[in-house]
Amino acid sequence: MNLAKWTVGLMAGMGMLAFAAQAEAGEVRVTVAEYSAKTGPYFEAVKKEFEAKNPGITVKFEVVPWDVLLQKLTTDITAGTNADLSIIGTRWLIDFVQQDVAEPLDGYITPDFKGRFIDTFLSPSIMDGKTYGLPIAASARAMYYNKELFEKAGIAKPPATWTELQEDARKIKALGSGTFGFGLQGKEIETDVYYYYAMWSQGTEILNKDGTSGLGTPGALEAAKLYKSMIDEGLTEPGVTSNNREDVQNLFKQGKVGMMITAPFLSNQIKDEAPKLKYGVAAIPAGPTGARGTYGVTDSIIMFKNSKNKDEAWKLLDFLFSTEQRAKFTQGEGFLPVNKEEAKLDYYVNNADLAAFTALLPDARFAPVIPGWEEVAQITSDAMQKIYLGGDPEAGLKDAAAKANGVLKK
Amino acid sequence: MQNRFLPYLLTLPSLFLAAVVIFWPVWDLIQISTHDVSRFGQLRDFSGLTNFAALAADPDFIAALWRTGLWTVLVVGGALLLSIPVAMILNMDFYGRGIARVIIMLPWAVSLTMTAVVWRWALSGESGMLNSALLGLGLIDHNIQWLAQAETAFPMQVLIGILVTVPFTTTIFLGGLSSIPDDLYEAAALEGATPLQQFREITFPLLKPFINIAIVLNTIYVFNSFPIIWVMTQGGPANSTDILVTHLYKLAFRIGKLGEASAVSLVMFAILLVFTMIYVRLAMREQRA
Repeated sequence: MNLAKWTVGLMAGMGMLAFAAQAEAGEVRVTVAEYSAKTGPYFEAVKKEFEAKNPGITVKFEVVPWDVLLQKLTTDITAGTNADLSIIGTRWLIDFVQQDVAEPLDGYITPDFKGRFIDTFLSPSIMDGKTYGLPIAASARAMYYNKELFEKAGIAKPPATWTELQEDARKIKALGSGTFGFGLQGKEIETDVYYYYAMWSQGTEILNKDGTSGLGTPGALEAAKLYKSMIDEGLTEPGVTSNNREDVQNLFKQGKVGMMITAPFLSNQIKDEAPKLKYGVAAIPAGPTGARGTYGVTDSIIMFKNSKNKDEAWKLLDFLFSTEQRAKFTQGEGFLPVNKEEAKLDYYVNNADLAAFTALLPDARFAPVIPGWEEVAQITSDAMQKIYLGGDPEAGLKDAAAKANGVLKK
Repeated sequence: MQNRFLPYLLTLPSLFLAAVVIFWPVWDLIQISTHDVSRFGQLRDFSGLTNFAALAADPDFIAALWRTGLWTVLVVGGALLLSIPVAMILNMDFYGRGIARVIIMLPWAVSLTMTAVVWRWALSGESGMLNSALLGLGLIDHNIQWLAQAETAFPMQVLIGILVTVPFTTTIFLGGLSSIPDDLYEAAALEGATPLQQFREITFPLLKPFINIAIVLNTIYVFNSFPIIWVMTQGGPANSTDILVTHLYKLAFRIGKLGEASAVSLVMFAILLVFTMIYVRLAMREQRA
């Protein structure tokens, strides 16, 4: 008797779960990444505005922290319970396309719609001539420097080359009192990217022309030796491998670090948390031949192939990529404009910080579009950590290059 | 006749539940780990033991395997050694015992992830509380970068692991201690037994079943414990603080090798199963004897 009751209860519970997972007609579910505390409220506002303009369509945003986004998507897709639209890192797009879960958007895109975008940012979402995603967020990296420390150390202008950067770092270190010349990130997401800045300035690319890993080249070794020598000389903050990007940014906000390379959103954070800090934004230093590179990143919003409400979902995309909506989102989060019309707004034109970033865009490299990229990035980060901890750069890079080539061959 | 089938009938509901929550996922894991599998879990060709062979050839996996053993032994052993005296003190009658018990139990009430986050801040090299406390006390003359290398990060993680395991273990022992009748101690004291003798001849033997259960439960729990290591170092730098769960997480959700990750999961399941069976066998035999 009791057992029967339980079974009935269990069945009813399961039934409700199944019902809840089923999409309602006219409902668009969107998985979005939480970039900052402003992300949730922004999409709440979008929901209200869009639903008012489009009766009959309801929108449901699922805001997910960045760190677990890929995990959530993996499990959702495996279980077949994914949303209609989702924000993804554009570097993951190739997996989604190869697994045939992303819907090409070319059927919906009019020439007029395509004309809204700045090409640099739209092109990473195009694969085999088909547009699989729209750049919802775009960013690049540039060098932040602390003007007050520079003044105290008698440095007139931000360094143009890595050699100058080393000299400036020495001068800042000489100030003593817990100040560090160059903030070097050595932990968690983008540890590999922090190394590429030095590598690109040596004229070395992540992938050689023949598709093998660039880690085995002399340029890569020079770059690793540069960072290691700076650590050994005490020009960076101590304990590099215990500092992730946020940790180094915090040191910068506290005025302890002279220079660091990071994304435009640091400007917004400084405005909120350390408004008195005097800082400037400059280009990433160049190498001996004048080569330099910054990291360009876009996140794309994609439509899933198994979506049952594609037309409604497209309407939402069209709404999200209107100039007004883009401006609200981009300015709130501190990203770079992806719409041409948006980029002409006063906010961007008169912003010296952002100008430094946009000036670097011609030198921007995006993460290579290859399967297994995440693994290659992980191998690179691990190798860098070993070198930062005192390992031999030559042996470390040789080993990493071999591992990376093993992945790339597949 | 009826009596022979009744026990089986009565265990049927729980067997059914076990099948749903244990056997089915394990079967799924076996499927995934023996197939070539896409990033999103779609099974492709049967690949036999390729995924397991890849693990055996992966030095990071082997290192994580040994480290998991070390982690489990240190945390479970440390918690055990600490919990017995703590439980004995808390079992005594003294003023403020209620408050002392609450304080010991508090780490249990805070979520493990939050504890780890707080410790990550406390261990921060430049602005961490631990460094400023040690500097203030004059014990060190420059900041220690606790989480920068495994040599300092891993022992810290073990200590935190012990700290959060103590409340549960103490609870078990308190239950055990309260089941020991006071007359035993009184009689022993009359015969002139020292406190140490009382502990060795009365407390410890009578506490043994509780110690056994604490070892089994804690081992399972600590072996699978993810938050402390993940939050503080993500298994880094350069995988030098990885244990099997963090290694598995990276394989599955960073790199997208679901097949190999499932294989790791099965290896962990097998290790725990074998450990539990052997241990429970040994413990039970001892009790019967």
